[in-house]
Amino acid sequence: MSALPHVLHLVDDATPGGVTRVLAHIQSCPLMAKAGRHSVRVISRTGQLPKCDADMIVSHLSLNWRRMPALIGFRARHATTPLIHVEHSYTAMFTAINVRSKLRFFTMLRTAYALFDTVVAVSDAQAKWLTERRLVSSQSLRVIAPVVDLAGFRALPAPQGTPKVIGAIGRLHRQKGFDVLIKAFRALPNPDLALHIHGTGPDEDALKALAGDDPRIRFFGHAQRSEDVMETVDIVAMPSRWEAFGLVALEARAAGRPLICAPSDGLSMSAGPNARYVKGLGATAWSAALLDMVQQVSPLSETDRVSACESEFAASWQDLIDRHTSPAGETGTVLVQAA
Amino acid sequence: MPFATIVVPAYNAAVTLSETLESLMAQTFRDMEIVVVDDGSTDKTAQIAQFYVRRDPRIRVVNQINRGLAGARNSGIAAARGEVIGFCDADDLWRPEKLATHIAHLKASPEVGLSYSGSALIDEDSRLLGHAQRPRLHRVNAAHVFKRNPIGNGSAPVIRRAVLDAIAWRPATETLRDWVFDETFRQSEDIECWLRIALLTDWIIEGVPGLLTEYRVNSTGLSANVSAQLASWERMVAKLRPAAPSFFARHEATARAYQLRYLARRAISSGDGETALDHVTRAFTESRRPLIEEPLRSLTTWAAAHALSRFGDAPINFARTVLRTARA
Repeated sequence: MSALPHVLHLVDDATPGGVTRVLAHIQSCPLMAKAGRHSVRVISRTGQLPKCDADMIVSHLSLNWRRMPALIGFRARHATTPLIHVEHSYTAMFTAINVRSKLRFFTMLRTAYALFDTVVAVSDAQAKWLTERRLVSSQSLRVIAPVVDLAGFRALPAPQGTPKVIGAIGRLHRQKGFDVLIKAFRALPNPDLALHIHGTGPDEDALKALAGDDPRIRFFGHAQRSEDVMETVDIVAMPSRWEAFGLVALEARAAGRPLICAPSDGLSMSAGPNARYVKGLGATAWSAALLDMVQQVSPLSETDRVSACESEFAASWQDLIDRHTSPAGETGTVLVQAA
Repeated sequence: MPFATIVVPAYNAAVTLSETLESLMAQTFRDMEIVVVDDGSTDKTAQIAQFYVRRDPRIRVVNQINRGLAGARNSGIAAARGEVIGFCDADDLWRPEKLATHIAHLKASPEVGLSYSGSALIDEDSRLLGHAQRPRLHRVNAAHVFKRNPIGNGSAPVIRRAVLDAIAWRPATETLRDWVFDETFRQSEDIECWLRIALLTDWIIEGVPGLLTEYRVNSTGLSANVSAQLASWERMVAKLRPAAPSFFARHEATARAYQLRYLARRAISSGDGETALDHVTRAFTESRRPLIEEPLRSLTTWAAAHALSRFGDAPINFARTVLRTARA
């Protein structure tokens, strides 16, 4: 048995968000270590991509037209190295809301994805979109739902009694839709409810203005340990306008916290079948749903607390790494060459 | 399963329904069904629809108590079996090649979810008025839909079912079927739906050349509902703003200016100079962009509103008569 393959992960977003945490998990998870030696390299958002020496290279980069020449050069210099791309950002709803010229955007994605041997979608909804829009061919597409170390969340006791604290956790950016949540919450009459908002971001001032003088709404900034935040809330609300996956939903399930969320993109997967879904971002609909939720006597909490997801994640990566790095003759590479 | 469904919402449409249905039965694209939704009509609409059911097996009728245009369309969508769904109000007409043209367009462009065309305007007697809606056809984004509504009218688009599924929802009060069009709207229900498609899905909206719909305009009773129409437009904006706040921050004033200009033009058509002047003034106070983007149309509206309020409708009627005579 030869040494484990070296899997190099490239990332251009080192801010404390979902991608960074997933990469930290990839490097620290013992199950992942069985599949390969993982290392992470942070590179600049612009300019040339470096020459890398690895058995398999995984891009967690953000794709755009400006990056394209560098990406093509990178493919050329790593012609025989398996290149994988994990799509952390783009979804149907992202495109709907943010992209002015959709056809040009689809062309960019199609061109960029074609440079990779495999494209990894982070949710079923995203994979469906990538296939339906013919951005990635189905044989080079995989779905691997991201995961972080959830042990700390599973260790939390499920909330007891009537729910009091609604938690909103994430970047204070219009993506997360906390503006809708604040409006909906302010319309609730219950004086003993609280809305706790954890995170920082560009919309902080606007959201604080929206919260006004409602003493029930509190802003906490960014917390070091997500488990500590999760422990303090009874319900997690995610009215996201778009969401490739939505790790917070997974963490909430692991912590046994009921979820109320928009059915945007990957959230319908990460929030699971027991979440309360509110379609549309109308404050009235959200108010009604929140009220209904806090009035439920026993919040339905997930019994299994998504116990299998770390092992499924590792198994999927193991399979992908094996497929691309094991000697030719029994692998998918040969099938692709033959086709 | 038919490939296409044409939904025909019909409310007290006894006068026009037969002509509408015959225009649909004459479509060159044959693999389709026609779903007539009799929206609680009190005239002979039901009997006329039944008459056509016996003549053409592709026609079906759905009956319901009156729910309004949006409610009738939603029932039609719920009953539709086609992969693509077109709408033709029971007083409008489709030219024979319309469905075939849109289906060819959708088949050739998998990213396009909504295909529309221009419309020729007809009067109560189905005579061509010589006016047409000739909208922008390509590179249409949500801002275009919001400002200029290139789709134009409710009988213009042919839409993939997947698009309608993507924006459908079930309000808590609804027990029967999903809503695609918002039934709380009695006006602006078209634009509200198109804008939701543009803002909340990544489907492309695109037009095909030609005037494939004949869209009937009534000369009576236009001015009375100008303010109601503005109110429902504002309600649409208030409803959709949370979905894309930055989009509205950027385009709302201009879109409102266009809406006010449109209402001013309608007031001019019905000879209400005061309303016209009021709306055109408010339009350009709201935003100057229509003057830059469409100077000719903006200035003629402005001039006509001023002329009408100062001199009454005699000069405009005279000009209309001259134009009509010249065309004839």
